[in-house]
Amino acid sequence: MRGRLAKATTRYALLATLALSYLFLYLPILHIGLAAFSKNANFPYPPRWTLDTFGRLFGNSLYQGAFLNSLVLGIGAGALSTLLAAAATLGLMRHAGRRTGLFLTLFVAPLFVAEVLVGIASLIFNGLFLELQGNLVSAILANAVHCFSYALLIMATQLYRYDWRLDDAAMVFGASPLRTFFEVTLPLIWPGLLGAFIVTFIMAFNNLEISFYLLGATPTLPSVAWGALRYGVKPELYALATAVNLVVVLGLGIMFVLMLTGKAAFGHRPERERAV
Amino acid sequence: MTRRNFASRAAGPLLLGVPTLFLLALFVVPLASMVVLSFWRTENYHIVQDWNVGNYVTLATGGAYVTFLIRSLVMATVVSVVSVAVAWPVSYAIILYGGRYRLLFTLAFAVPFLTGEVLRVIALQGLLGPLGLINGVLMALGAAPLRFIMYTNVASAIGLVYLYLPIVVTVIYLSLLNFDARLIDAAKIFGASPLRAFFEVTWPLNLFGTLIGFALCFIPCLSATLAPRFLGGPNGTLYGMAMAQQFGESGTWALGAAMGVVLFLTSILAVLAIGMRVNLRRTGFTGFGRG
Repeated sequence: MRGRLAKATTRYALLATLALSYLFLYLPILHIGLAAFSKNANFPYPPRWTLDTFGRLFGNSLYQGAFLNSLVLGIGAGALSTLLAAAATLGLMRHAGRRTGLFLTLFVAPLFVAEVLVGIASLIFNGLFLELQGNLVSAILANAVHCFSYALLIMATQLYRYDWRLDDAAMVFGASPLRTFFEVTLPLIWPGLLGAFIVTFIMAFNNLEISFYLLGATPTLPSVAWGALRYGVKPELYALATAVNLVVVLGLGIMFVLMLTGKAAFGHRPERERAV
Repeated sequence: MTRRNFASRAAGPLLLGVPTLFLLALFVVPLASMVVLSFWRTENYHIVQDWNVGNYVTLATGGAYVTFLIRSLVMATVVSVVSVAVAWPVSYAIILYGGRYRLLFTLAFAVPFLTGEVLRVIALQGLLGPLGLINGVLMALGAAPLRFIMYTNVASAIGLVYLYLPIVVTVIYLSLLNFDARLIDAAKIFGASPLRAFFEVTWPLNLFGTLIGFALCFIPCLSATLAPRFLGGPNGTLYGMAMAQQFGESGTWALGAAMGVVLFLTSILAVLAIGMRVNLRRTGFTGFGRG
């Protein structure tokens, strides 16, 4: 009897913590979401609905340019880091041999160096030693460093259980390494690549701590938002944050639906979950 | 045949070499150039290349920098401990009760993490600020606004937990996901109480993941620039924020570089101190993808 009571208490305590954490994370997001859609932005309870804020936001040419730059930055850094991380993961699993630990340490090192340090160090190297002005390219490269490690981790969790005998089989039957890659490996690992790209794209798109030091005079959404935030919070910023949140939710939602319908298995293979 | 041999022999060096070169050129070399710059000095916004340790002397003797560093260390420790303490029951609950929607629950934690620091600081202002939700509710009820959540270190700490809780949850969740829950059953069958099974089986076997989560929260907190700036108020200057200012308003790059080196070394020491406590074999780490 005592055991059952303890069990129930644990259960409710755990679920309550979970619920409170979601509340803590989403309350601010929902609050500014409501504020963005209402005329009484400071305390929108009850909200008086309006779309004016979004109209002002989308009509503002500064935000439009910044959005395009952020898009280029996100796609560039996402694609670069995903490709490099894919190469690194395959290399680590197939070719590193006894030096796996060494390479792995180097590859995940950016995770353990603060973003702002990556930004500052790249600024010093580019500005002082190469005498290059900051621009989108330098920002893409520096963001790719940070995103690379995240992409590597995502790919590694996907490829953890990859069956390399499939590749060997293709090679035994005479396929060249390149053909094996495109006809066997790639079709099986693309969900991992896509997952890594989506995550790194979103990270680079929203990054400020690295980009800030390398962009020069190029505005991106986070840097424009940072500039505006210094002069106090305005409803436009709420609208901007809400718009980005909606896009991120949409992206992850698509991933989830694909997974649920079995179109893509982002590392989630129920039939193998129980296998030891 | 020779061509194919060449191709398969070139694959390894190419697959590992290109990422290695990339990281050396864009990660290791810039960090090294930061170390070099920290031994030069800045004069009237110009870098003077004479080797000296003046920047480090300034950091060690100018009381403010030591205060900022200690404040940052305390802040990062408190925030990481709180985050781990919250993340454990959260990920445990997702594993136990999530069922087939586990992944959705975890992704729901990733959404705020992915929207970027600036936007989340904006959201936090909406929660904690003078015109934010909490004080708005209090004032609508006719109560006085809470002073300790507006532009104080407490606000910074709440903000940092908000920013980094998602990554700690994700890491501990992944650790628990790879943990073989049948070991708990085995412990219970042999008579261990649930509490004892937790502390002697579950906790030690997930210690590695927990410490990684701790480190991935501790390091960005130590160098936080945005949250203290917009939430911290006058007594809330943290080390990372002071460092960022050297590259902005004050233009003293060399001193900033020295601060960067100190920050880098502090994080490395912290990671090593954490890493020393882990015996990989005992935490169930089986190597990287080779079983």
